Amino acid sequence: MTTPAGGGTRLLEVTNLRKLFPIRRGFLRRVVGHVRAVDGVTFHVQSGETLALVGESGCGKTTTSRCVLRAVTPTAGQILFRTAEGPVLDVATLPRRHLRPLRRQMQMIFQDPFSSLNPRRTLLDIVAEPLVANRVGTRAERVERVAELLRLVGLRPEYMRRYPHAFSGGQRQRVGIARALALNPRLVVADEPVSALDVSVQAQILNLMLDLQAQLGLTYLFVAHDLSVVKHVSDRVAVMYVGQIVELAETEALFTAPRHPYTEALLSAVPKPDPRLRAQRIVLEGDVADAANPPSGCYFHPRCAYAVERCRIDTPRLEPVEPGHFVACHRARELGLRGISR
Amino acid sequence: MAGPPGDGARPLLEVRNLRTYFFQDEGTIKAVDGAGLSVHAGKTLGIVGESGCGKSVTARSILRIVERPGRVVSGEILLRDDAGGETDLARLDAEGREMRRVRGGDIALVFQEPMTSFSPVHTVGSQMIETIRLHQRLDKKAAREKAIEMFRLVGIPRPERRVDEYAFQLSGGLRQRAMIALALSCAPRILIADEPTTALDVTTQAQILALLARLQERDGMAIILITHNLGVVAEMCDEVAVMYLGRVVEQGPVDAIFHAPRHPYTRALLRSIPSIHAPVRTRLPTIAGSIPHPYNRPPGCPFHPRCPDFMPGRCDRSEPPLLPIAPGQHAACFLYGDARP
Repeated sequence: MTTPAGGGTRLLEVTNLRKLFPIRRGFLRRVVGHVRAVDGVTFHVQSGETLALVGESGCGKTTTSRCVLRAVTPTAGQILFRTAEGPVLDVATLPRRHLRPLRRQMQMIFQDPFSSLNPRRTLLDIVAEPLVANRVGTRAERVERVAELLRLVGLRPEYMRRYPHAFSGGQRQRVGIARALALNPRLVVADEPVSALDVSVQAQILNLMLDLQAQLGLTYLFVAHDLSVVKHVSDRVAVMYVGQIVELAETEALFTAPRHPYTEALLSAVPKPDPRLRAQRIVLEGDVADAANPPSGCYFHPRCAYAVERCRIDTPRLEPVEPGHFVACHRARELGLRGISR
Repeated sequence: MAGPPGDGARPLLEVRNLRTYFFQDEGTIKAVDGAGLSVHAGKTLGIVGESGCGKSVTARSILRIVERPGRVVSGEILLRDDAGGETDLARLDAEGREMRRVRGGDIALVFQEPMTSFSPVHTVGSQMIETIRLHQRLDKKAAREKAIEMFRLVGIPRPERRVDEYAFQLSGGLRQRAMIALALSCAPRILIADEPTTALDVTTQAQILALLARLQERDGMAIILITHNLGVVAEMCDEVAVMYLGRVVEQGPVDAIFHAPRHPYTRALLRSIPSIHAPVRTRLPTIAGSIPHPYNRPPGCPFHPRCPDFMPGRCDRSEPPLLPIAPGQHAACFLYGDARP
């Protein structure tokens, strides 16, 4: 894939990533099939940008992000990561013992701030944990660093001796972010970081993430299902459907002029907070295809209003239709699809 | 609550000054503290608010299924029948025969989590047959026919096979459809849907919302839609009640709530939602501070510590009552007149 969004270097380059999960049946637990959770995904992330992976449950967005962190080992494909020291490493095949230094540079923000923080440990223990695990600094230095991190995410350093239960969902998510930033990571993978939060708190956390990115030059891989949230944080967006990227473009282009019918349906399905914009929704029939037994041709064709004979037979490839705008649809060039105005 | 909107018909359900408290060792949580709202036949009322605002407890209070140590302390829950009769559900015995007839019969509930609301060890069909026979004089075979018919109505493919399946065999969207079929099987006059699409994907959410709108048009039932998603409210509702810390702070027609909100909390909430129409990568306006812990309810107007229009000596002294401010629109805020202490 060519055409970078900004001018920066590529921090992460994922090529043809695949992750199959075996389905086992019967007494001998024989493998009877595979769930193609991630099925040939290619994208890159520029240093300093936010790339969003969006899609519905089961589309493979979370598995893709887990592969990038090597929390799961991919079945095939390449995940090139440019380290701070210079060399580019393939995360997909790196031996386990070399992973630890790499993980200092890639951190994760979790979805649920209630279950991702250990209730028996103080904020100091929680935020300092990555420092302790990587033997960074003396105890006094770590306390100093935790105070600095708490201030950075908008919490009072005096709180560091308290336990998570004393804090609201939004404050806990701030703690999670402070922990992710403890080791000065280059890449932060955020998996649905605001979907468990209340509306007014969502806004605070999204603003914080934007501020921290500007302040620290962070790069985000942002996994989300909520397209409104994605619009507020992303430079580019990749839309996934049944393990594949069906469209990848700069945020503005993807929202105003989608080129894949699935993106169009997804955008139209988002309930708009304005009663005067009612009743223009495209309601897709049926359910998301089964990743263990996907349909022939284009995986989206059984639900697609624009499908033709060719879509049932040929699998479309992700190809550029404009500079920086990639679509996997046979009819991408001929269809005039509706986006979000303004 | 005064003045119903529009046609002047009396509301099907009217909640007045409802208080539901949870009495715990550490103190009393006033989950609902003086809430009032009304719903008309054939209309959809949205109850919106953030966690802890009391929207779900209000729904549970109406059905009298508040769990201990919670209790409806005071207030009226008036359910009207076609003949003009009136029953105050707050005065009925929660476990009594009358209340059991109301639950499922007059008022039905759809939960957020369709997985946990079905029994995992019974087929969805057998659970429906049981419910149908509880409220209607039908034999097993006729009840089964009715269950299949309901499944077909809510758009479940191959309903005669699906009735014999277990909840875990259905996808999230199908499970929520089955839940709606179960709720509607006794033709309730009011359907309370508590976050019915929160656990679902957007395309499935669109299917379920379209289904609810279609069924309402067909049966003319009233819907109380409880949600935190203002987009869903804008799409679905005729009337909206905005709740904050156990009180309704504003109620009005959906267009007024979104285009002419009057209460500072409604305004702030609307500004802070991420919008798909917003320019790319923009900061959102936020509401100062956070929702107070229920044990520490602020005195006076519950929103005053976070309110940009806070008037010292006024808002922190007494609670503003919910008063009419425009046709069909009510707000509980001292900004809009009422000099009474």
